[in-house]
Amino acid sequence: MTDASSFGPLFRRWNRRISLTNEDQSAVINLPWLRKQFQRDAYLAREGEPTGVCTVLIQGFAFRQKILSDGSRQIISFHIPGEFLDLQNCLLEVADHNVQAMTRSLVAIVPKDILLQLMGARPAVRKAIWLDSLLDASVFREWVVNVGRRDARQRIAHLLCELALRMKAAGLGDGPMFDFPLTQEQIADATGLTAVHTNRTLQALRKSGLINLTASKLTILDWDALAEEGDFGERYLHHSVQAVCSLSGRASEG
Amino acid sequence: MDAPHETALQLLARKLNSHHRLSEVHQRAILALPHKIRRLEAHSYILREGDRPDRCAVLLQGYAVRHKSTGDGSRQILAINIPGEALDFQNLFLEEADHNVQMLSRGVVADVSREAIEALIATHSEIGRAILITTLIEASIFREWVVNVGQRDSRTRIAHLLCEFAYRLNAQELNTDGAYELPITQEQLADATGLTSVHVNRVLQALQRDGLIERDRRMIRFPSWERMQDVADFNPRYLHTADLAP
Repeated sequence: MTDASSFGPLFRRWNRRISLTNEDQSAVINLPWLRKQFQRDAYLAREGEPTGVCTVLIQGFAFRQKILSDGSRQIISFHIPGEFLDLQNCLLEVADHNVQAMTRSLVAIVPKDILLQLMGARPAVRKAIWLDSLLDASVFREWVVNVGRRDARQRIAHLLCELALRMKAAGLGDGPMFDFPLTQEQIADATGLTAVHTNRTLQALRKSGLINLTASKLTILDWDALAEEGDFGERYLHHSVQAVCSLSGRASEG
Repeated sequence: MDAPHETALQLLARKLNSHHRLSEVHQRAILALPHKIRRLEAHSYILREGDRPDRCAVLLQGYAVRHKSTGDGSRQILAINIPGEALDFQNLFLEEADHNVQMLSRGVVADVSREAIEALIATHSEIGRAILITTLIEASIFREWVVNVGQRDSRTRIAHLLCEFAYRLNAQELNTDGAYELPITQEQLADATGLTSVHVNRVLQALQRDGLIERDRRMIRFPSWERMQDVADFNPRYLHTADLAP
């Protein structure tokens, strides 16, 4: 069991697209969720393991990654509270990637069969979950473009724009300053760059007056310029953020 | 435009059934989906980024790609689609296409309206489940492509793409005597791997020299699948199919 407020961010996100009734929401809240805390860097799921559960991030940050045979790591997505970390588990038998906590995190875990039953019984919930999985896929596609065709500066600027916009949409800060627990190594692993290259590029973005990045805070000083540098267009986020966001303009004016 | 054919959607039914066991009734419901057959020239667009998708094309013959362009016009291919695959399940509940879908070769598609698919899912939840599994596996393939272009060197990258393609053709029983049609030009291969076509050309020649691939016009074969898989760092787990090694 878990309290209703834990799912606030999830329902806020879902309700932007699907009208869930109070009964739908109660049915989700009343699933036999198991709350579990993870330390920073802890693994929530490992590639190759059979899938038994689905997990919603309640507090903290997490990411998905894959490790190659030579030991290098590619981060394939970052996650914020209110997002499922492993939606595909409900229908796929084996985990095809790892899920790791980026910070100390609290999650709610439910057996996948129970989630599937609920999806069968409640079409609106099924549609919301289905949509989430399609949005995940759209973000993966954009990341293929990001690592495949953009230069280092564009890649990092694009990543920062995406994260800032998603956090803003989730009500996790209204900009220009965001809680930003990513290490430079994680940014490097998400963009397919070396740590040295990442460091140099972040410095350059800072010097150009676009961002300020400290140990745990990202400040976007000039959203429009950063979005342009990052070749960032919001379409791939499918209005999940657009309507609620206005990050444009220089931070100093606000 | 040809008349609908009662077995046109057979490949799709077979593919969905391979992901989630479907009854006779379900398979017949898929075959009975109202559709329009269209013959398409190579390079014609099925869907453009920004379009509002109102139908889902099922690829019956030929090959298609998903791609996106960056602001400066460089193109990234995101997936290669083979016969039997639905090209727009990814857009099923989305209002705006976030990428392009384009024919690589000449081909034939069956267009099914989005309403017909939504009605099918509403009536037969098991078919809905099979479709959802299909889109989840596609998402897994996108993840693997992030890894491929993000971390692998050019030789491994290209070998990986070739392995994936062969493996998927095998799963759909679209190979001939261990040979695979490779409908993709070196330039397109470059767009799928984030490399230049000069680089791709060099890597293909090296793979050939090392006896890992044999090419004969548009056909490709792998003299030793095990060695190729090794060079490609290819583990088919992310394709979520039963064991179907070529």
